[in-house]
Amino acid sequence: MFILGYALRETAQNLWRNFMLALATVITVGVSLAMFGGFMLFQVAVDNATARWEDGVEFIVWMNADRTEAQDAGVRELLDESPGVADWDYVDQQTAYEEFRDIFADTPELLDIVTADGVPPYYRVVPTNPDHDVVEELGQHFGGRPGVYRVTFAGDVIRDVQSLADRAGRVLFIGAIVLLGASVMLILNTLAVAIAHRRTEIEIMRLVGATKWFVRVPFMLEGLVQGLAGAVVAIVCNMALRTYVIDRFSDADALQLLAGFRVDDSAMFQINLLVLAISGVVAVIGSASAVAVHLDK
Amino acid sequence: MIRLDRVTKVFKGDVVALRDVSIDIGKGEFVFLVGPSGSGKSTLIRLLNREDVPEHGNIFVAGRDIGSLYSWRVPYLRRNIGYVFQDFKLLTKKTVFENVAFALEVIGKGPHVIKRQVPAILELVGLSRKMDRFPAELSGGEQQRVSIARAFVNRPMILLADEPTGNLDPNTSVGIMRLLERINETGTTVVMATHDSSIVDSMRQRVVELDRGMVVRDQARGVYE
Repeated sequence: MFILGYALRETAQNLWRNFMLALATVITVGVSLAMFGGFMLFQVAVDNATARWEDGVEFIVWMNADRTEAQDAGVRELLDESPGVADWDYVDQQTAYEEFRDIFADTPELLDIVTADGVPPYYRVVPTNPDHDVVEELGQHFGGRPGVYRVTFAGDVIRDVQSLADRAGRVLFIGAIVLLGASVMLILNTLAVAIAHRRTEIEIMRLVGATKWFVRVPFMLEGLVQGLAGAVVAIVCNMALRTYVIDRFSDADALQLLAGFRVDDSAMFQINLLVLAISGVVAVIGSASAVAVHLDK
Repeated sequence: MIRLDRVTKVFKGDVVALRDVSIDIGKGEFVFLVGPSGSGKSTLIRLLNREDVPEHGNIFVAGRDIGSLYSWRVPYLRRNIGYVFQDFKLLTKKTVFENVAFALEVIGKGPHVIKRQVPAILELVGLSRKMDRFPAELSGGEQQRVSIARAFVNRPMILLADEPTGNLDPNTSVGIMRLLERINETGTTVVMATHDSSIVDSMRQRVVELDRGMVVRDQARGVYE
């Protein structure tokens, strides 16, 4: 207990002594982790928004909620017989309802008024030729069929969004990795300064019989505190990103195609947990390197 | 208490700091290590404290070969060896009390031990009235007393002193030597490296003279030259 108290007190003193440097480290760790978290958030949001359009699906045939079995059979027959259709799958009402509940999990007022009966089932269609005009023409065959509510096409917007999200994601990811590397270096340097500042103290500690770990722990804790404080900054940034950017993006009327562009609470929790874990890894690498290079040599 | 058995220490570039040195030091002895600069006195002190290990030979402290100690055991060895520096190495932002308490604190001793032992040792070194002062408010001799108090507060079996009077005037040095003598009288083995001939001559303790890494004289109740 006494040793723990000593380690905590020394850690606090170290942080206070190099406050500006520690602050710079926390901000850098925070920004890099926020970028990483932002990358993850956008990936999840785009995946949610475009989930229906993956695996080469180019158009969706939405059925009426009250269609008859004969009408369903007619659409299936047409899908099987069309040479332009490479593959298709059917999302039944229950599955479509579950998807709906996932997408609008954060909007309980909507969940309260929509039941499984009100959600239309649909067919996801993969054409043999993804050319825009060919797909459009193929989709028109289904548009007027009995029991069909409407046909929606992936079109250029979805593909552009996916492509943009991929590119933006790559930039964010690479930026985050570079900044995380910088964070490790910054933690290492902050601890190097702290170690240099306490050179005499450390020498005395060793000569009077302090164990290696007793000397190391306050410095490693200092690195860990900086990493975790950076994670808190990143988590706050990511919560703000979700509330003020992603949620508003998904609510915009002009972006109907991106309905579902949102991040639910459980995904947010997992991302925050990941950010916390990465901050721990960054802190441990930075601290361990500083201790190995500057303390144990 | 201490036995060096044909110890050789070589530094990089083939500089032989100690060559085939054998010394036996009994419990409670007071030994001066003398010799010119570069003769190997400080190297010997560092080896005794396991700050370094010899290339050849063995060093036994309290019957244990310290060269073969696992590195994690070294701190426990050092808890039995006090160390006094020439330049005091006091922590400037800590008071006298805190400087001495630090030595106990970092080996995990609790507040009750610190409250009992620190005032007692400060009384022994004559600084009980100055325990709240900072090092900058003390004279050189007083700072060295604090350094000795810190080295002795854990009641080690051995006290190593590397030129403890090197930065002090002759009168102050006499006071420091009296203090080391008192500590020695408690049964603690004292090994002191020094250049100060007047101190060695006046104390008439055992003198081990080193020259170019070799023991050239080992004399009971000896003098500097």
